[in-house]
Amino acid sequence: MLTLLRDLRRLRKTIDLPQASRGRSLAIRHVDAGSCNGCEHELTQLSNPYYDLQRFGLGIVASPRHADVLLVAGAVTTRMREPLLIAYAAMPEPRRVVALGDCALGCNLLGSAEDLIGPVEAIVPIDLRIPGCPPTPEAIAEALLGLIDRGSAATPTNGPILVDVGR
Amino acid sequence: MTIPAAFASYRERVGAALADGARFAGLHGTSDGALVRTLLADPDGTTRVETVAAKEGVVPSIVDIAPAAGWDEREAHDLQGVRFAGHEPLRPLVSHDPALERWVPVRGDDVYQLAVGPIHAGIIESGHFRFHLVGDRILHLDAQLFYKHRGLERAAEGKTLHEGLAYASRACAACSVANGVAYASTCEQALGLVPTAELRRARTILLELERTWSHLNDIAAICAGVSLAAGNNRFAALTERARRLNAALTGHRFLFHTVRVGGSELALDPDQIWAAREELASINAAALRGWRELLFNTSFQDRLPDIGVVTATHAERLGAVGPGARAAGLTQDLRANSPHLAYEGFSAVVPERAAGDVQARFEQRALELWQTFAILDELLDHPIQPASAEPSGDEQPIGVGRVESPRGATSCIVERGDRIERLRLRTGSYANWPVVAHAATDNLLPDFPLINKSFELCYACVDR
Repeated sequence: MLTLLRDLRRLRKTIDLPQASRGRSLAIRHVDAGSCNGCEHELTQLSNPYYDLQRFGLGIVASPRHADVLLVAGAVTTRMREPLLIAYAAMPEPRRVVALGDCALGCNLLGSAEDLIGPVEAIVPIDLRIPGCPPTPEAIAEALLGLIDRGSAATPTNGPILVDVGR
Repeated sequence: MTIPAAFASYRERVGAALADGARFAGLHGTSDGALVRTLLADPDGTTRVETVAAKEGVVPSIVDIAPAAGWDEREAHDLQGVRFAGHEPLRPLVSHDPALERWVPVRGDDVYQLAVGPIHAGIIESGHFRFHLVGDRILHLDAQLFYKHRGLERAAEGKTLHEGLAYASRACAACSVANGVAYASTCEQALGLVPTAELRRARTILLELERTWSHLNDIAAICAGVSLAAGNNRFAALTERARRLNAALTGHRFLFHTVRVGGSELALDPDQIWAAREELASINAAALRGWRELLFNTSFQDRLPDIGVVTATHAERLGAVGPGARAAGLTQDLRANSPHLAYEGFSAVVPERAAGDVQARFEQRALELWQTFAILDELLDHPIQPASAEPSGDEQPIGVGRVESPRGATSCIVERGDRIERLRLRTGSYANWPVVAHAATDNLLPDFPLINKSFELCYACVDR
């Protein structure tokens, strides 16, 4: 097991990301609103030793109540509309919404009108767009690190949500 | 095929085929719900379609003789409005009815329900699990998926066969090649085409490249299922290398846009072939080292046996496919009977201890991975040229294509006139979800993530 850990430490040096020295952090809650699972597979890779995004203070948290960022993948299906709104409503302010991948941005969507609502923007206001089909782990990492750097200078967002989430 | 058949004879024909050793491979309603078709696959790989016409919207259920048809019938009811006589209760599958009665009623002292999802705590696709529990022990699990239902099959209707490819391959990133090849084979059968040897080789290489990253990812996921970070990181890093290799060879980490109906544009020159062989050999060696480390980690190994057991009998009955079925001792693998792909001499492997538990499914991934590296080593021995399929027979109104995806047998059916009238994609994940629910029964709730990851099924290509 020790040799294994030693090997893993080497991998991190091969990726071209800046040194972790920001001293800030972002807690991220991911929501799959109707993706093809490509965005999820690439997002999972962000914690592999090549990227190891935790070292930059970026972590996936279990609940939207602990999250600064809602990271939404996929075009929103009719069946995921309500769960997405509930997760959004559960977040503390200030909050940011990131649309991950071309589908979430409304590019090149496939599906039936009765099952698919459309881009994430049609449901909740978004602060950051990460294009790609799916976006590579490098692209996701760079975009999220940019969000940390924007910090409190970022445009204030999100008044009260106007959509009724009750049944 | 469109002649309305008597109900009794439909059930008899399906029953006789099953008695002859055929396996249920899918059931769907036509777009208007007028006909229901059952796909049956013989052990030698030949397929047949049995059709029955609905009378006033009702057809007889076959769920009593083919329990694997359970989800298919529920889906045909929700999406095409077909009712199935004898399938009681016909609970909603795609439709989401919030009423509590839709769940299997569980009564008795201390029984309670636990709702999980559709949004999960980690980076997981959306789906709802309804556990019925006594204490920590799972009595019953209802998996309510289809939160991600995009209506892909419905949207493909009216499109040309070439346009339809996107709907099959974009159903799921993790099975993009398998679904794409299944769809392309389906269309080629309908068009009376057969792939040339070069096309067979190109597609087989793509399928095995997909299996490489997928199985590496599965091993990483099982390690994550018991919080063994070192094993998870090791195999996640190898998954990353496999995806980078895909990008180097085809320009896409998930091999998107590499499959085409009637041909292949994949071209690899000698330098690329050489680099791919070298990288695959290196990944293979690193995976072997990592695997050995895991074998000698006793606290990890102790967590795997006798968890999430699916016996061979239940695997057969429920229609399990893929690594999960083989880990239970069923030696079925479509690659052994794939004349349209380059799997000459292939035979399915099963683990020595095919107990159908997490340990067996874990070992199965490694056994298949070594096979995949050997297949790629053999096929990547000379440059690859763009290739096409050749005319070989008459056009058909219905095409059928089957491919062994990393998660098991995937069946595709296309019914067409000038354009697609009905597309049905039944993936390995679709076949296996009811098996996961069965495997979870009688286990402890905290073991469910491990059981789930030992199957590592997709939601996207189930929901479509």
